[in-house]
Amino acid sequence: MSDTAPKTVGGILTDNLWHSNPIFMQVLGICSALAVTNLLTNTFIMSIGVIFTTMMSNFTVSIIKGLIPRKVRMMVQVLIIAFYVIIVDIVLRAYMPDIHEALGPYVGLIITNCIIMGRAEAFAQSNGPGLSLWDGITSASGYMGVLLVIAFFREILAFGSLFGFRIMPNWFEPWIIMAMPPSAFFFLGVIIWIGKTIMNHEEAAA
Amino acid sequence: MNKQSLIYTIVFTFAVCFVFVAILAVANDLTAEQVRQNQIVAQQRAVLNAMGISYQSDEEVLSLFEDVEQDEIDGTIVYITEKDGNRIYAMSFRGSGLWGPIVGILAMDSSLENIFGIEIISHEETPGLGGRITEDQWKEQFRDRPVPEGSIEVVRGGSTGDGQVAAITGATGTSNSMERILNNAMQRFRELLGGRDA
Repeated sequence: MSDTAPKTVGGILTDNLWHSNPIFMQVLGICSALAVTNLLTNTFIMSIGVIFTTMMSNFTVSIIKGLIPRKVRMMVQVLIIAFYVIIVDIVLRAYMPDIHEALGPYVGLIITNCIIMGRAEAFAQSNGPGLSLWDGITSASGYMGVLLVIAFFREILAFGSLFGFRIMPNWFEPWIIMAMPPSAFFFLGVIIWIGKTIMNHEEAAA
Repeated sequence: MNKQSLIYTIVFTFAVCFVFVAILAVANDLTAEQVRQNQIVAQQRAVLNAMGISYQSDEEVLSLFEDVEQDEIDGTIVYITEKDGNRIYAMSFRGSGLWGPIVGILAMDSSLENIFGIEIISHEETPGLGGRITEDQWKEQFRDRPVPEGSIEVVRGGSTGDGQVAAITGATGTSNSMERILNNAMQRFRELLGGRDA
């Protein structure tokens, strides 16, 4: 899709947030979308980490892309992604131990997020540093948006709370399944359904 | 230079790895002291939390901790403090949870028939499920919880009596692990302090 899309700042924005949204159009990064979305706080912090990593790895790959031999380019991309993830981990551990504690294994899991690798390979390899940086931010924001929607419904139904604050009345019986990773599929399915339907209408109208 | 040649590929790969790993090594080294300091404060904070001593800042943690007596019995460090005329004992516990070790602090009163409080220092339980053992709502169940039988039981459902705490919904494995770990810790407590005058 990124081959035909206009490589403008606005075009990249709408593409990454909507037309080629990494989660509900490209269906990438699903493992983390299932794992972290039972609490809004965890989802939010994890997404921030993904935004930083996607942005910086895209930027770095774009800068040194002319030097990378084709045979080892994916290995170099993984190295760069891992580098930024470990930097995030080191900084959090030293200066924000509480957040580091709360995030636990999530920071390391960012490395496995295929969106980051996907953007490095599909976008940063063939575009300039500025646009690549912007592509990283918007792409990861598209990921964040969908995850927050899923987490919103899951946290309310599973724990009766939002960002840890209880909002449901006392008689509310939590739905245990919503705390489990597979339940994210229900919401992911519904979001893809709604997204596709709206997009089909847009196309029909155009 | 031919950027697709074998020599260039090898040299480039080596150079890239070297540069990035070198930066990481330096960053790790620069923050090592800070991380060590954080760990000390985390340990002290956990002891204070388990003993129900409140504090505002890390500096206060360090100064409050100076009032906590430390006694090494049989190779285990026991923290002792005086609160409202009662002696409170605390020590670290460690055991295997669902995915990895759970480490924390258990505080008991001098009769060893009441848990005074617990605090979790580190764990690798499923975030949002077993990971909720670190939430106050769960830990507060242990505050002043009498354990007349000398053991704690994690039960499903709402109401809990003496020696019982509520399990975490969706985290049966972790709940059962905590039951086992805490009962082992209480056993250890009795071994260490049993012969001593309360």
